[in-house]
Amino acid sequence: MNIDWKNYKPILIPAIKDLHKIDVYEKNGGYKALKKVLSGKSKMTPEEVVNEVKDANIRGRGGAGFNAGLKWSFMPKPDGGPRYLACNGDESEPGTFKDRKIFEYNPHSFIEGAIIAAYAMQIQTIYVYIRGEYRDFIDMMDVAISDAYKKGYLGKDILKSGFSVDMYTHMGAGAYICGEESSLMNSLEGKRGYPRVKPPFPAQKGLWGRPTTINNIETLANVPLVINNGAKWFKGIGAETHPGPVLYGISGHVNRPGVYEYPTGMLLTDLINEVAGGVPGGKKVKAVVPGGSSTPPLRGDSLDGVRMDADSLREAGSMMGTAGICVVDETVDMVDFTWRISGFYHHESCGQCTPCRDGTGWLEKTLDKIRRGDGEMRDIDLLYEICTKMEGRTICALADAAAWPVRYALDRFREDFEARCKKTVYALA
Amino acid sequence: MAEIIIDDKKFEFEEVGKVLQFILDNGMDLPFFCYHPSLSIPANCRQCFIEAGQMVKDRESGEYELDEDGNPVIRWFPKLMTACSLDMADGMVIKTHVTSEKVKVAQADTLELILINHPLDCPICDQAGECPLQIQTYKYGPEGSRFEHKKVHKPKRIQLGPRVILDAERCINCTRCVRFTDEVSKTHQLSIVSRGDKNYPITAEGQVFDDPYSLNTVDICPVGALTSADFRFKARVWEMNQTPSIDVTNGKGVNIDLWTRDNLVMRITPRFNKEVNDHWMPDIGREAYRLFNENRVSKPIIKLDGDQVRSSWNNAFMTVSEKISSVKSDEILLIGSPYASLEDNYAFQNWFNRLGVSDVYFTPHIEKGYGDDLLLVDDHAPNTNGCKALGFKEVDAKKMAKLLSDESYKAVFILGDDLLSRVDIDDSALESKYLVSFATNHTETTKKSDLVIPITSSAEHIGSYINVDERIQRTIPAKETMYTNRKLDLEMSMGRLDHFGTKFDNWVSDKNRVDCIPAWEVLVRIGNEMNLEFNFASPQDVLEDITDKIPALENVSYDRMDKENGIALKLSAPKSVTT
Amino acid sequence: MSKEYTFDKDDLKKIEEIKSRYPEVTPAVMPVLWLAQDKFGHVEPAVQKLVADTLGLPQAHVQGVASFYTQYYKKEKGKFVLDVCTSFSCQICGGYEILDHLENKLGIKAGETTEDGMFSIQSVECLGACGYAPMLQVTNDKYVNNLTTEKVDSLIENLKQGKMPEFESIPMPQHETES
Repeated sequence: MNIDWKNYKPILIPAIKDLHKIDVYEKNGGYKALKKVLSGKSKMTPEEVVNEVKDANIRGRGGAGFNAGLKWSFMPKPDGGPRYLACNGDESEPGTFKDRKIFEYNPHSFIEGAIIAAYAMQIQTIYVYIRGEYRDFIDMMDVAISDAYKKGYLGKDILKSGFSVDMYTHMGAGAYICGEESSLMNSLEGKRGYPRVKPPFPAQKGLWGRPTTINNIETLANVPLVINNGAKWFKGIGAETHPGPVLYGISGHVNRPGVYEYPTGMLLTDLINEVAGGVPGGKKVKAVVPGGSSTPPLRGDSLDGVRMDADSLREAGSMMGTAGICVVDETVDMVDFTWRISGFYHHESCGQCTPCRDGTGWLEKTLDKIRRGDGEMRDIDLLYEICTKMEGRTICALADAAAWPVRYALDRFREDFEARCKKTVYALA
Repeated sequence: MAEIIIDDKKFEFEEVGKVLQFILDNGMDLPFFCYHPSLSIPANCRQCFIEAGQMVKDRESGEYELDEDGNPVIRWFPKLMTACSLDMADGMVIKTHVTSEKVKVAQADTLELILINHPLDCPICDQAGECPLQIQTYKYGPEGSRFEHKKVHKPKRIQLGPRVILDAERCINCTRCVRFTDEVSKTHQLSIVSRGDKNYPITAEGQVFDDPYSLNTVDICPVGALTSADFRFKARVWEMNQTPSIDVTNGKGVNIDLWTRDNLVMRITPRFNKEVNDHWMPDIGREAYRLFNENRVSKPIIKLDGDQVRSSWNNAFMTVSEKISSVKSDEILLIGSPYASLEDNYAFQNWFNRLGVSDVYFTPHIEKGYGDDLLLVDDHAPNTNGCKALGFKEVDAKKMAKLLSDESYKAVFILGDDLLSRVDIDDSALESKYLVSFATNHTETTKKSDLVIPITSSAEHIGSYINVDERIQRTIPAKETMYTNRKLDLEMSMGRLDHFGTKFDNWVSDKNRVDCIPAWEVLVRIGNEMNLEFNFASPQDVLEDITDKIPALENVSYDRMDKENGIALKLSAPKSVTT
Repeated sequence: MSKEYTFDKDDLKKIEEIKSRYPEVTPAVMPVLWLAQDKFGHVEPAVQKLVADTLGLPQAHVQGVASFYTQYYKKEKGKFVLDVCTSFSCQICGGYEILDHLENKLGIKAGETTEDGMFSIQSVECLGACGYAPMLQVTNDKYVNNLTTEKVDSLIENLKQGKMPEFESIPMPQHETES
């Protein structure tokens, strides 16, 4: 697979001045997809929209990578009662800072995608859940939503199609767990952000017990592209099993960090060395976290041929996650790095399930012990065991997300850990 | 019928429930903390892990597919499942710790994790001995802990309200208490605060946990995080006896357990009865334990020259018999009691019937608006319906006052009830009468009585009570009187102290035994004095006589009440509804 | 002494508008807590009670929610709260050095407030500005990106004069090269 990334022109967030303004967006083909779906000869039925999106295989950009159209198809037939779309803009996973680019530079692509999604699933209310720290971006979204209302893209009888939908932003207040879809729903319902036991799944019993779908912001921003250009076109972009444009957030030790839009399936080495300009000072890459803090870190010397798509990253021993790439150079001690990740999960565990509530703290404290130089070799074994006690044993995946970086850091950078542990010396009697 | 296989044993089931409940209902064990059958299911403690799978059915034949060895093909869930939240299904296969090493390890893992931030202060914790965490750690937990760091510290000794104290460090965040106030008592006074391992339940700042059902949170707390302000540090669980009984402070007839040590009732807790009180009871009912211990009438009391003095039983019996002989039958006023048992009321009625006194009056103790939507009813007395079933004449307090002032009555007999506290009557009106009361405690009524005969309370006798919903339930003696003996009365429970305590240690004494006799027995003994044909040998005898005579109580027996958790009666034909 | 907190007419109007977005009252708790914090600077228990009473919700519920989310200030903080990100991208790009510098400069530790009530410092989790590390956020509002000690110093000077930083738009590098 060869991606001609050097000639790639962004399509999700094209380089058009003032695109966030609705007039500019419209002038550049904005809301065309919505018009195509809702009116005229091209009018599509909700099922047709679902099928087109399903066929396009937009894999969720929030981390799980699930086919968005397939997720839509899980919604039961309308029964006359309310149904909801919750848009996940919680964006709190360390290393992830991409949805904010959509809020700032192309909010209407997301709004248009969300309206189309709502139409496809016969939904009347859309909530856009955005992390509370993104106050400025929420303000931008509120302006964009209000503009869309004024133009008649939101509200009653959109484009005289008879279809009506409302959209509201909902501001988070500092809780990573609210990016987990069932926790997001509890937060939206004005409760503590505890994940819910599944089943029932959101499509069966979501917000206020009604059918609900939760999609990531970037995922929905892809929808107009699919409607305008067709699923076939979309599938032709990037990796075959994980197609489309994707926002790569590159941070850490690179010369030009930032958010870049390229097709999926990019070589990780191209992204680091070419796109982001390589490591400052010509240092070696020690580790790369490819898709946000919960994805297992890869060794810098094992990046050859690794591509940014679900299959390639699985093969390499990690995951696509949010495509938030953090590059770590050789000066960093992986004990410190892993300790800080554990600290994050300890801080963010909602405290509902025992293994996560108590396990995340135990991981952090044990890593801190090693970090302070008080660790012993048995602590490395203990860390593995704590991971085993947590993985797959909780209501949501936060415990897994907390355990994996530790497990794989131990697997892949064991020398760093051993170097910080005391060597127990047994005296010979 | 649908089938489920648990640890290689096949079970049939009709109703689809949760796997955990089914396991428990069938007498098997599985550790858990957060699950409670009467609350929603959060599945947060992660203790009831099991392996679950589904036997694969061939679509065409509808038969289970078999592998090469002839065993059914099972599709296992990839992860361990929590049995509390898993719905049963036909063809489901479950492995608990009994057959699965993986489950056994996972259960020990969760316990190790729960315990890392738990203070392990069992020796000074009230919950010890009845603590699910302690019990399950012994049964399923790891040998020790490998946690070598500082535990998370949280508030301790917080008086949440008048009756409940919080030790947040002991809390394992099962959320049972929060769910109770949200879902059962609906006061919403508790919430988990903070996040992660700093979580704990508490009231809003400045708010008092005065939920009238607050002590239920202490009962369901699976650790010692919530303890009873009153009971705290008073007794260890293993020192007490537990005796099933009925709450006699309200007409609902909540099923309870009396916890006694050395013949003192130390506390009262609810006992499950799906038809009456589920797992709950109001806080107020628990305070009744004092009634059984304190301010008891012990030995008869007689008024001499205006002073009440203690008397012998013989003297008391002779006085009654003389008094009755000196008045005509229509000069005797009989007042039965909604607080006394069916047996005592019946014996009272029957004994005086033999003397030609036919009418028994009673005044219910109803306070309009006292009840709530949960377990408290307006009727304060446990046996109003019992009085009705016996055909007692119901009069309100005003009418009762009139009766008591009626000059034609020369002697008044009041059974087990502080009647005068709720009947407004001038002392002078009583002066011309001889007032005999059969009483358990010193009250306004006993103060004004010429003769007080101490009778047993519901903690000391077998007695039946018919609640507001016409359900008959009975008590079992929990406390010894001067004349009863645990070792002889096979119905009485025996605790460690009863078995092994001696008069020479500090733990057992006779001082808490009250000098009292069941009312029916008092009447038998006075009857002997008077050569009256009144020969009951036991409450059983009395009940049999009642069930023979009152059609609505036909076939009622203690045995049935025990087996069926009380019996729903039909005392009166249902009234037709007028629209 | 506990102060009296009240919502004025405009607040109540806003609260009605907030309630209208949801099918129930409970969901309004987070936006109304925000509204209260913007107005009073914190959501101490007395403010939580005001929110609970205004919405007709149990006070314990509001406390449970307020305490779950870190951005609500359950205790009064300094006039400017400096949230320094130390999550991994910031960690390896000098987030802790910035935190140290701030602590030394202001003479307080993370989690504390200066005596004059001007500044509070907190070490916080990822704020979603990983490419612009190290960075901090001022009182739940503006981000200050690509920090250096000099930039921190001038920020503090500006804040002392009541000058809040402005929103910094950081374009995608691809856009910069094209336009």
